[in-house]
Amino acid sequence: MSVVTMTPRERVVKFLNGEPVDRPPVFSGMGNVIRPVLDKYGIVFSRVHRDPAAMAKAAAGMYKDFGFECAVVPFDLAVEAEAIGSVVNYYDDVDSLLYPTIKEKCVKTIDDIKIPADLSKAGRIPVVCEAIRLLRKELGDEVAIGTYILGPFTLLGQLKELDELLEESFIEPEKTNEMLTLASDVIIKVLKLYHDAGADYLTVREMGATSDVMSPNSFRSLVKPHLQRIHAAIPRPNILHICGNTNYIIKDMHECGADAVSVDHKNCVPESRQKLGDKAIILSGFDPVKVLMQGKPGKIGPAAREMIPGASAVWPGCDIWPEIPGENMRELVGALKE
Amino acid sequence: MMKLVQVAGYLGSGKTTLILSLVKEMATRGRKVAVLVNDVGEVPVDGQVMEKYGLTVKDIGGGCICCQVAGNMRATLNNLARNQKPDIVIIEPTGMAVPSAIRDGATIDPKFDSLNHGPTIVLFDTTRAEKFLTYETLERLVNTQLRDADIVALSKTDSAAPEKVEYARSGVLKINPKARIVMLATKTGAGVQELAAAALGEGM
Repeated sequence: MSVVTMTPRERVVKFLNGEPVDRPPVFSGMGNVIRPVLDKYGIVFSRVHRDPAAMAKAAAGMYKDFGFECAVVPFDLAVEAEAIGSVVNYYDDVDSLLYPTIKEKCVKTIDDIKIPADLSKAGRIPVVCEAIRLLRKELGDEVAIGTYILGPFTLLGQLKELDELLEESFIEPEKTNEMLTLASDVIIKVLKLYHDAGADYLTVREMGATSDVMSPNSFRSLVKPHLQRIHAAIPRPNILHICGNTNYIIKDMHECGADAVSVDHKNCVPESRQKLGDKAIILSGFDPVKVLMQGKPGKIGPAAREMIPGASAVWPGCDIWPEIPGENMRELVGALKE
Repeated sequence: MMKLVQVAGYLGSGKTTLILSLVKEMATRGRKVAVLVNDVGEVPVDGQVMEKYGLTVKDIGGGCICCQVAGNMRATLNNLARNQKPDIVIIEPTGMAVPSAIRDGATIDPKFDSLNHGPTIVLFDTTRAEKFLTYETLERLVNTQLRDADIVALSKTDSAAPEKVEYARSGVLKINPKARIVMLATKTGAGVQELAAAALGEGM
């Protein structure tokens, strides 16, 4: 059957659903906005995270101005933790462009986890939902709208001191397990809200459970069951992303039930392909810092294409840092579309 | 040129204590030092030798230093290079951090300064050596951190029996045979001068 030319939205959605596409999409499931877009629309980075119109405008700009085949919101990693009670620093009074970070974590023990009764009104979740609705209005059916959320272990790391979480997960895993259940409940509910607002695909980013720090057995016993519950409950298509050398757990990642698995540049994708077989959708992540930020013109495309062997598609293995030069973004998109 | 020195290690291994000692030692050698930590509350404040900065590195969700954190760290280093111009920047990541990821993420805009990567120091608590070297749940993290070390500082050697210290030393060297081993004693401060000299690339 011949495949006709598709809109970017059709291409992304069909690709993630395992259907034939004219070529792999050039997109991301993680944060991507760059300064030329912010400047063009007069958007201040520290404000974009709290303003749905600015958020939508910035996300749409990545398609309109650079041909990236998606519009992804939000841009930071603190939305859900803030909704549960952690305090965020937006760096409003800092000249440099900085991502919001958690300045005050709200959880010491499980009793401190207070899930808002109505998450649709909690923190910036309504901001993200409104941005998705605005994107749909502006882009219609042409472009796929993506969104992401932290995985349960990583989200807990935004609620509770990391060192304590790590120690507790080793010595009292049953307590950590209870907290992961609560975090997973939030993730499922929030992703349903994002989907209802109009998101086409959802990425679960469990970067904290990397094999660099967590043993495969700990991943299997502590994190995997929660990811399986999440992926069984959330709308499709969806993606599971974990950083680091994930080949130790690549089969477990696949068994979590996402439509696609996403890995970063530290992972050997041909080996992943061998382990998962031909049918699995593997998104091979290039290093956005080395390739896009530090890469020189003419070298961006070849560096990104190095990630192709074994991959179903290549995409950024993490957020695109906003300070990358616009010409680097253009070269990347052009090279991957070839 | 700013020199970057990383002090990593598991929770309770003595990172903050060592950093405070290193800052003092480096200051007596005439160096201006800045410290980036994973958490504001853990800054080992000593007004005489360092300033507390509003911008700090926040690690997220474990060992993966995601691109957002790497970007914030780069912006923080750029600010330091433009304003405070320290000779040495000590980074104290969380106990879950992967040292090589921090090192890879620490870059600076060449128009402000250049960055000289000093040694990665990983602390290893000799009083808990058996736990770190034998617990399956900790193996991955401990091995990753030790393998990324240029120097492994065996901490609390004055609180552990000599055979435990030797057990720790040989266990560490099995994982990273190339690591330089420095013995640290909390009460006497032994080992701090050696580490400071190594971090600065000087003789003692």
